[in-house]
Amino acid sequence: MQIDVRGEVCPYPMLKAVEAMKRLKGGDEIVVITDHAPCLETIPPQAIRYGYDCVIDQTGYPEWTLRLRPKVSAK
Amino acid sequence: MGIVAAAGTQGALMRTLPWQRVAGAVVVLASVVIALAMSPGDPRLPYLWVFGLAAGFTLQRSRFCFASAFRDLYLFGSGRIMKGILVGVAVATLGFAVVMRNAVPFPGFGALPPEAHILPVGVTTILGGLLFGVGMVLAGGCISGSLFRSAEGYVGSWVAIAGAVIGLGAMSQTWNWWWSVALAAEPKLWLPALFNLGYGGAVILTLAAAIAAYVLIVWWEARSGVPTVKAIADLLPDDTVGQRLRATAQRVFVNGWSPIVGGAVLGGLNILMYSVHMPWGVTGELSRWANSLMTSVGAAPPVALGLSAIGGCAARASEVSGVFSHTFAVTVGLIAGALAAALFANEFKLRFPRTARRYYQSLAGGLLMGYGAGLAIGCTIGAFFSSIASLSVSGWLFGAALFGGALLGTKLIQRIA
Repeated sequence: MQIDVRGEVCPYPMLKAVEAMKRLKGGDEIVVITDHAPCLETIPPQAIRYGYDCVIDQTGYPEWTLRLRPKVSAK
Repeated sequence: MGIVAAAGTQGALMRTLPWQRVAGAVVVLASVVIALAMSPGDPRLPYLWVFGLAAGFTLQRSRFCFASAFRDLYLFGSGRIMKGILVGVAVATLGFAVVMRNAVPFPGFGALPPEAHILPVGVTTILGGLLFGVGMVLAGGCISGSLFRSAEGYVGSWVAIAGAVIGLGAMSQTWNWWWSVALAAEPKLWLPALFNLGYGGAVILTLAAAIAAYVLIVWWEARSGVPTVKAIADLLPDDTVGQRLRATAQRVFVNGWSPIVGGAVLGGLNILMYSVHMPWGVTGELSRWANSLMTSVGAAPPVALGLSAIGGCAARASEVSGVFSHTFAVTVGLIAGALAAALFANEFKLRFPRTARRYYQSLAGGLLMGYGAGLAIGCTIGAFFSSIASLSVSGWLFGAALFGGALLGTKLIQRIA
């Protein structure tokens, strides 16, 4: 599942990521695309909270892709 | 765009897209020229300009957003930035006490230190804080937050600032009514002059309250189940001096700073500003823009009753003519500093809100913030951060009202997703 939140500011990128993690319940990978740097500090702790690993790739200046992958142990 | 760099690749960021870095250097050069142009008028202005630049740089680097500090406690149980604010308040309190003691050695005799942000305490403090709290959450940033976001290229924040200027203008037109019904009778409560506390007692009381608030936030985070993220030690082969220096530059100019570091630096800068002239505040300049705009279209606001007897940046809006002033140096300096920081970090980008709804949200939030800041004679910086450090009771009451307003605002934005 892909969430493109470019142009959105806090708290919407994080709200949408959390909403997706709650809905998918660790069933699928979630890809968040953002150009809002604060997301790099706010989304990872929420990912851990909902049983996801978070891998960040810088894909532009400024643009990042956050891959939220369900932890196996969380299920 | 479209350049792909693996996360954390040392040096890769330094090589690509140099235009932002070049533009950043141009901003720094222009800032030096402005500093030189300022010095003949008032020798204090270049210093204030530099402190304003540094504050903007720090706000951008540590992503020091007061709106999220309040909002995220409700939304996600996260107290990251609020903890940074408390550290900043503690640092500023210690320095402010020294500056105030030089001005007023014996606080029990009734004199208040000039320039300190000791503001009226009453219904206007609470109402101003509520309006401001709702507004900042709705707009996605308080005044200082919207100023540094504007510099980063967020078009929604430009709209929020425009809204705040209109709100402050509306306050200038209605100030005298508020003065006659409430403000004139509200006391200015200064801790060192209360209950024989003196400076020592007032500082200890303020620090104890800040520590108690910090503990309360840690409890709140634990209760909400927010995980503590352990710092990952980057074991990089920092072989040469050059590589080590490059890694250090990366940490300062590219990676975000911790909010605790940001808060402490901002607390220190606030002390420097006060020791040169007066504590940090950012709404005064916006108020000045509103008043001169209204004057230019023949709708000049009436002379504000009682405002000159009150400290705080918003109270200074009407007294300076010309472009360069204290408020210009600090507020426009903040924008320039944040712009330079964003450019050096390759984080500048024009970002347009994706839906029309966000523009209305920013405008409405800005209006509420502007009117609230006018009523409370300051924003999260002037009436909260600088006011608590001035050992004023108003700062704590305004902060409590901000919590109330932010709760309302959070309920509101959850409905407009």
